[in-house]
Amino acid sequence: MKQFFLLLFSTMFVGSMQAQTKVNSYTFGALEARWLGPGTMSGRTTAIVGVVSDNKTLYIGTAGGGVWKSTNAGASFKPIFDKYCMSIGAIAVDQANPSTVFVGTGESNMRNTVSIGDGLYKSTDAGDNWVKVGLDSTEHIAKIIIDPKNANTIYVAAPGPLWSDSKHRGLYKSTDGGTTWNKILYINEKTGCADIAVDPNNPDIIYATTWEFRRKPYSFSSGGMGSGMWKSTDGGKNWRELKNGLPVKPFGRIALTLAPSAPQNMIAIVEAKETGLYISSDAGETWKSQSATMNVVSRPFYFSCLVIDPKDPKRVYRPGFGFSYSDDGGYSFTDASYDGGWVHSDHHALWINPNYTNQMYLATDGGIYYSLDRGATWMFVYNLPVGQFYHVACDNSTPYRMYGGLQDNGSWMAPSAAPGGVNNSSWQDMYGGDGFWVQPDPTDSNIAYAESQGGNMGRIDLRTFKSVDITPQAGKDEEKLRWNWNTPIVTGQANGRNLYTAAQYLFKSKNQGRIWQRISPDLTTNDKKKQQQEESGGLSEDNTSAENHCTIFTIAESPLDENLIWVGTDDGNLQVVTDGGKSWINVSKNYEAAGIPAQTWVSSIEPSRFDKNTVYVTFDNHMYGDMNTYVAKSTDLGKTWTRIKSDEFTGFAHKIKEDLVNKGLLFLGTERGMFASNDGGARWFRMKNHIPDYAMVRDIQIQPKTNDLVIATHGRGIMVVNDITPIRMLTKDVVDQDVVLFDSKPMEITTGKYGGGGSPVSGGWYGGNPDNIAPIEYYLKERATKDVKLEIYDAEGKLVQSVPGTKRKGVNKVYWNLRWTPPKTATGSTKMDYGGFIAPMVLPGNYTLKLKVGDKEYSKLLSLVHDNSNKLFTVEDRKEQYDVAMRLYHMHEELYALVNKINAEQKTIKDNMDSLTRPQNKKLLKEYNTKLEELRSTLLATKHKSIFADEKKLREYITEVYGSVCGQECKPSNLQTERVAVLMEDLKKGQQTYEKLYAEYNTKTAAAIKDDKAKSKSPTPRSGN
Amino acid sequence: MSTVRIACLFGAIIVASVNIVFSQTADEIIQKHVAAIGGEANWKKIQSIKKVCTRNSRGNELPVIITVLQGKGYKYETTVSGMTSYSIITDKEGWFYNPSRGQQKPDVMTEESVKQAQSVLDIQGPLIGYKEKGKKITYLGKDDVEGTECFKLKVLYPTGREETYFIDAADYSLVRIVAKTKANGREQTQATTYGSYEKLPEGITIPMSSDNGGGSVNVKSVVINGTIDENTFKIQN
Repeated sequence: MKQFFLLLFSTMFVGSMQAQTKVNSYTFGALEARWLGPGTMSGRTTAIVGVVSDNKTLYIGTAGGGVWKSTNAGASFKPIFDKYCMSIGAIAVDQANPSTVFVGTGESNMRNTVSIGDGLYKSTDAGDNWVKVGLDSTEHIAKIIIDPKNANTIYVAAPGPLWSDSKHRGLYKSTDGGTTWNKILYINEKTGCADIAVDPNNPDIIYATTWEFRRKPYSFSSGGMGSGMWKSTDGGKNWRELKNGLPVKPFGRIALTLAPSAPQNMIAIVEAKETGLYISSDAGETWKSQSATMNVVSRPFYFSCLVIDPKDPKRVYRPGFGFSYSDDGGYSFTDASYDGGWVHSDHHALWINPNYTNQMYLATDGGIYYSLDRGATWMFVYNLPVGQFYHVACDNSTPYRMYGGLQDNGSWMAPSAAPGGVNNSSWQDMYGGDGFWVQPDPTDSNIAYAESQGGNMGRIDLRTFKSVDITPQAGKDEEKLRWNWNTPIVTGQANGRNLYTAAQYLFKSKNQGRIWQRISPDLTTNDKKKQQQEESGGLSEDNTSAENHCTIFTIAESPLDENLIWVGTDDGNLQVVTDGGKSWINVSKNYEAAGIPAQTWVSSIEPSRFDKNTVYVTFDNHMYGDMNTYVAKSTDLGKTWTRIKSDEFTGFAHKIKEDLVNKGLLFLGTERGMFASNDGGARWFRMKNHIPDYAMVRDIQIQPKTNDLVIATHGRGIMVVNDITPIRMLTKDVVDQDVVLFDSKPMEITTGKYGGGGSPVSGGWYGGNPDNIAPIEYYLKERATKDVKLEIYDAEGKLVQSVPGTKRKGVNKVYWNLRWTPPKTATGSTKMDYGGFIAPMVLPGNYTLKLKVGDKEYSKLLSLVHDNSNKLFTVEDRKEQYDVAMRLYHMHEELYALVNKINAEQKTIKDNMDSLTRPQNKKLLKEYNTKLEELRSTLLATKHKSIFADEKKLREYITEVYGSVCGQECKPSNLQTERVAVLMEDLKKGQQTYEKLYAEYNTKTAAAIKDDKAKSKSPTPRSGN
Repeated sequence: MSTVRIACLFGAIIVASVNIVFSQTADEIIQKHVAAIGGEANWKKIQSIKKVCTRNSRGNELPVIITVLQGKGYKYETTVSGMTSYSIITDKEGWFYNPSRGQQKPDVMTEESVKQAQSVLDIQGPLIGYKEKGKKITYLGKDDVEGTECFKLKVLYPTGREETYFIDAADYSLVRIVAKTKANGREQTQATTYGSYEKLPEGITIPMSSDNGGGSVNVKSVVINGTIDENTFKIQN
């Protein structure tokens, strides 16, 4: 038994050790993703709340980018909800105690691509920390209202699940600050609560609207007998349906609001057979129909926002398809002006500052706008990178360019790096409509292919951005082509000349879409019951191609064989062909055997680049209410499948990506997170590399030259993890070691690939650049508790530089600027000289890296090579540059020594001057000091203190040339080289002058001091020279 | 002992350890943290500290001197190219001076800035005797700092300054402080990460390195309870 316990505990210990050393979310945390935006084109925003007491704190809820906070009225924003669900439905601030904030997750603009939430969150410290307080299964939350007179009472309107019946919908109430919840208005499993209003004068009076709605993968229905308008006068205990003056049921979605300054005045937009605007002046008891503009009543399922000015009951705002406002209580409306620029359509939230009602913020499908003139004109907020990409692609340029399409915001491209860094101006709008796939032509760097919703696609000349329509057309006797909302258009991975797109058929072109060939029969189930989109929408017809079904959704040509093509459909077919398009095999029955439900949308296919028979596939069944993560692998061309599972997974799967180098390294993007496995899919970890924990990851690419991981998020724009080589290198052997200094590839000596950027960009989004100089990377099994530093030695063993290291558990990065340690520069000036921060770049050769962790040392060789890509800077140029730079470097050090001598002499004089008694001694010291000062003032700036007074002396002149020569990749000019000689002469003159002065005065002044001090009781010791 | 009972015992061990982890309170965490850094008694004896440090900047080792007289004065000096910059915080006022940026005389800090910055006058830090110091501390659960599991404590100062302490759940050392200040109409956040702990002869353990994003500051020597002239905290220009 004793042995058993020993075994038991040793097993526990070993298990514990293994647990400690396994790769996890934080192992690669230092490889932080860059958030590249764009900010110039933002994304769908869903909620806005300001803090009334300070007029400048704003909380912005987004469709897929979490919550952002500004404490300066929108000058800058920070994400504050990145550990939680990214889909935000509603936000509420307790205005009496604005540290209390509620966030309801799950957007309620029930479009086809709306995401889901996981409950209600509360912060009591203004968004620094969050606690989930319930309503986990509501999936969508439309509004939160905190009782203005009792902050413990909170109402939450939950439309509830979009894709399934559910009891988790209705109006919820808490009377204990959110700790417990009661459902106080519930109709049935198909009907949730869409809106709520509370009388600010008598918070027991509550109005709510219920909404019956449902989506299926191929249809949408808004409306039913469950929809209605309700009133309670006892805080939600009893409810009465309001009908007087409203149209005949069934209703769809109802937007409802009251005038805060006169709460009996109410206004509502009621979706019905004829959707209309209704006004009540008796607290909802009776309603009167009003004529309304198209904008006021259009698309009520998507535009559910209606706001009355906090002070003026006649001023009504209708943010909808466009922005309308009324000055007569809703009897008539006018539209906002586009003076100052277009205001993006599709509005979802409006916040008006009650203290200054001219100031308001508007949430749209394109981001946030603000107005200072009551909504007449608007200005765009350029610093919210919350665009919703569907896909991303990269080309092979240097720097490579990224391409992708955004929800409602067209197709865009940007370089991965740019002079001054990637910023808003780096992004180029390249195609209109809703954007989805964009594919650069691998064979022609001037061409890309892009599309808009429903299969409209074009070939774009990237020099002019003019496009040609290349959409395939139906042939004789062919059925109408069925294009997915998000139609695939992809280039071949084995043969880049192949261009594919698909409706229900697969089309292929070998000449950039000029001639298309249909290479398949209908690959879908062609279920006619799922093809009645013209009747979709419910009470309001809504057929925008968003519900098109029985279409091909994904196409993948094997990287190893252009005749091996995979196709996945939105109705669950997974088809493969090995002969370029003749003999298709449907393997959908086979994946069902692995536990993937039938009919499941095939969201991505990844044929292996290491084995033709291997393929990875993701499936998405959320449109049937199934939010599970479905991923499967086949190693026999789809005959049999193994489901890939992990407890780490959250969210339905969008994309799986196999690494280009390490076949065991896989990446998975889901609706709720980014995951990686470095053991072929056996174990997974959530990637938290400056990536929000539950980021909506729609697409993943790896750029083959830079090894960057390029991620398309549906709410946070494009994210790039630069160079994932350390992830590839972290094998089990490495992970089990205490410290590993990774091998570095031969490194080019460079100041970086890009210049520019003298001033930081203001007022926009800045995504930065990759590291100018590659970092040196090491792994620590545990956080270092002792000092960590990296020392670099040249081939002769001379210390070049010592750089402090980071101490984090996992992979660490340390940056050596490939330069010597800067010289010592002369001190005692009235101004700063930056020469002491500049050092010459080292020469190509072998260097030794010594990583010191506490008292242990780990060494590696590092080879530095000349940057041959810079044709204007040869190796010979570099040597000449180095020679000139080092001469100037040594001049600085010589000048430093010279000035130090002068300073020491002057200090001696100063220390003794006051105590001297004999006038001739004083005079002598003064004379010596004056001459020293005269000399010193020729050696460095001694007079002007202002940074605007450009006093230049020898030190500054040396730095002027030194800085230029060191800071550029160029052979020094003739005049720069000649200038070195001139400055050297000046330095020599200075040295000679000093020696002369020293010879003339030092002995004499020392004697004078000695003589004078001899009479003093406490002589001051003389400083040495 | 039957296999079933052993399994139960094994399960009980796990459950007990889980309970221990989750039943931590702010008080317990602070007690363990304070014990790990030398104990309250030792820390309360500390009335002054002078740290001579270096800060690495582009390959340069810049000298930094940090001097604190408990409750009275704090001075941070750094010398660049022979020019010394400093910031001074006292119990009454604050100054900053950076001649390398062309500043010709020290500038006075706003009253709000001084109030927010006066936390530096407490050498012991807010966790030592936090109740008597009027600090409100909330335990916010566990969080991860660069791969290290930490206890997270929010410290609220009477001035409104907020600091979040991340304390290593394994050894109770301080890993990071995130400070949030609201002054002059602005809200600012700064994170400082600590490491390289060393026990001093006085019985206290202090971090010998810190990094707030402006370069790693490494302590080269420390003098505890040395005589510090209060004139140190008077402006000199």
